[in-house]
Amino acid sequence: MEVLGNLLSGFAACLTAYNLGMAVLGAFLGTMVGILPGLGPSATMAIILPITFGMDPTPAMIMLTSLYYGAMYGGSTTSILVNVPGESSSVVTAIEGYQLARRGKAGTALGLSAIGSFVAGIIGTFALAFTASTLAEFSLKFGPSELFCLVLLGMFTIIYVGGKDVTKSLMSMVIGLGLGCVGTDIVEGQSRFTYGIAELLDGVDFVILVMGTFGIAEVLESAEEFMKIEPMKVKFRELFPSLKEVWQCRWAILRGTFVGFGICCVPGSGPTISSFLSYGVEKTVSKHPEKFGTGVIEGVAGPESANNAAVCGAMVPMFSLGIPGSGATAVLLGGLILYGLKPGPLLFVENADFVWAVIASMFIGNIVLIVMNLPLVPLFASLLRIPYSFIYPAILIVCIVGAYAVASGLFEVGLMLVFAVCGYLMKKADIPAAPMLMALIMGPMLERNLYQALNLAHGNVLVFVQRPISATLLSILALTSIFVAVKRARGGRTVQEAEE
Amino acid sequence: MKKADRVFGIIGLGLSLWCYLESTKFHYMAQFTPGPGFMPFWVGVALAVLSTCLLLDTFKRKPSKLDDKKILPERHALTRVATILLLLFGVRFSMNILGFPLTLALFTAAILSILERYNLFKSIGIGIAYAAVTWFVFEYILAMGFPKGFLGI
Repeated sequence: MEVLGNLLSGFAACLTAYNLGMAVLGAFLGTMVGILPGLGPSATMAIILPITFGMDPTPAMIMLTSLYYGAMYGGSTTSILVNVPGESSSVVTAIEGYQLARRGKAGTALGLSAIGSFVAGIIGTFALAFTASTLAEFSLKFGPSELFCLVLLGMFTIIYVGGKDVTKSLMSMVIGLGLGCVGTDIVEGQSRFTYGIAELLDGVDFVILVMGTFGIAEVLESAEEFMKIEPMKVKFRELFPSLKEVWQCRWAILRGTFVGFGICCVPGSGPTISSFLSYGVEKTVSKHPEKFGTGVIEGVAGPESANNAAVCGAMVPMFSLGIPGSGATAVLLGGLILYGLKPGPLLFVENADFVWAVIASMFIGNIVLIVMNLPLVPLFASLLRIPYSFIYPAILIVCIVGAYAVASGLFEVGLMLVFAVCGYLMKKADIPAAPMLMALIMGPMLERNLYQALNLAHGNVLVFVQRPISATLLSILALTSIFVAVKRARGGRTVQEAEE
Repeated sequence: MKKADRVFGIIGLGLSLWCYLESTKFHYMAQFTPGPGFMPFWVGVALAVLSTCLLLDTFKRKPSKLDDKKILPERHALTRVATILLLLFGVRFSMNILGFPLTLALFTAAILSILERYNLFKSIGIGIAYAAVTWFVFEYILAMGFPKGFLGI
């Protein structure tokens, strides 16, 4: 009941014209990002983040979160209409969605994906409210040694669950930790890796890293070739699936919601994995699995519900423990730090108004999105006719402006470009950039908690195994690492290769 | 991909050496806690171990389809990417001289005319439009204080 009371107070806080406006703006931008191939939600949030510096944290975070799940709504449009996923979590939607579109049922697929996303978004937000607050309450018992082990476990889980090459992901993470060392250290106040550059004394700003490795690097990859997209035309009256079709998908939507939320509560899984899992579940439980691949509506409704519920699931560790579950939540977490908030269990205590307002806004955002997505899909689809050659210079300009806004200096612009080159080469070498970003954010947290834990224990390193919660967390980490190492030694090189 | 992994492994070893050398400049331990040199030292060690694993793996593993994948794109695509990067670095270094709006107008016009083969006048027109909108939003409304050039804007 306490949660419901908090939610109501959250609604009271977020139901202002300005906050609603931000939710609508975020939802609109998110839908556009989802529709247009070439820029993901993480990159867009990172690009927009510096522009929100002057804003109050609540409307800024409302805009960013609605952008995130707006991208999940929008991603299905391009998957269904042109067989080109707008972002990675909609890849699986293209399998059935495009086949449905070819059979003249594009409207049904788009409508079902919007309805599934809406139902999953609402259920997922309820689940987020209950789970995150309970988990945060429990984790209030955590001291520095528990937090150190938790951050460590979170970082490794992201690598192990992420589905990429473990060695490369670990290397990316360690490089991120190294980047986290740049600047003034917390123990003696000495400058590390700064070489007399004053701009580096405060460390490498994560916004610069994200805009370089995600934003510009993604644009560079997309700009390699001329991109020309011809979407199928959809009429407004075709956008509403029949009641029979919606009823037929009811269990697929619920299963997708359950899979998406449950999986994404574990850091590292993300909406893409959950949408693939949901598709697999639908195929397994179907009476006619052989029809999958020819345009089965459950194959659209399930994954689309899963990727929306996954957004809510990924926010559970972010809000309650201060651990990002994915690249996009890492950006959100970085945003919290930039706005002067302290992510972690205390967020629910010290900034309860903020957290509940953001969670409540997610209900409103989902309503805005279904209203926006059903009737406006033909309009959004027409955006695909804008040549990409007009879009990417604008994205690059916004990145330059964003980097400049971080410290009102051109040094940051140059640093972002260096990261862009690194990010592009990392993409080409199949090295994920997300672990690096997460480590940059979590590295200083890790170092601070290690310092505090050892200081309190007068240098006794056994403090990490003497306290039950930290010992449990370390045991989980050790067991998971052994499992991954054995699996890798036995079954070939990488999880990714196995999937391919 | 084997080649890319080897290059990345060698870069990783180089970075690990850099981290190790940097860590030697600071105390490894303070009174009870790790000192400023602790984290760079372990970052260096971890990176060295992982880079070695990656390098060894390239010699040990069986050839797969992934190994046939080219790291860099075809020449034409690479030229496009290199041109964009060159123009971006151009923006970085010319903004203090040309000023914010003129730099962005030239940047957009250059991308559209050189890479996208648009008519020069159309490219310049779009460049001016983009720069004007950006200047209006970020300088006029948000007063972000961008560098001014010889034109005074």
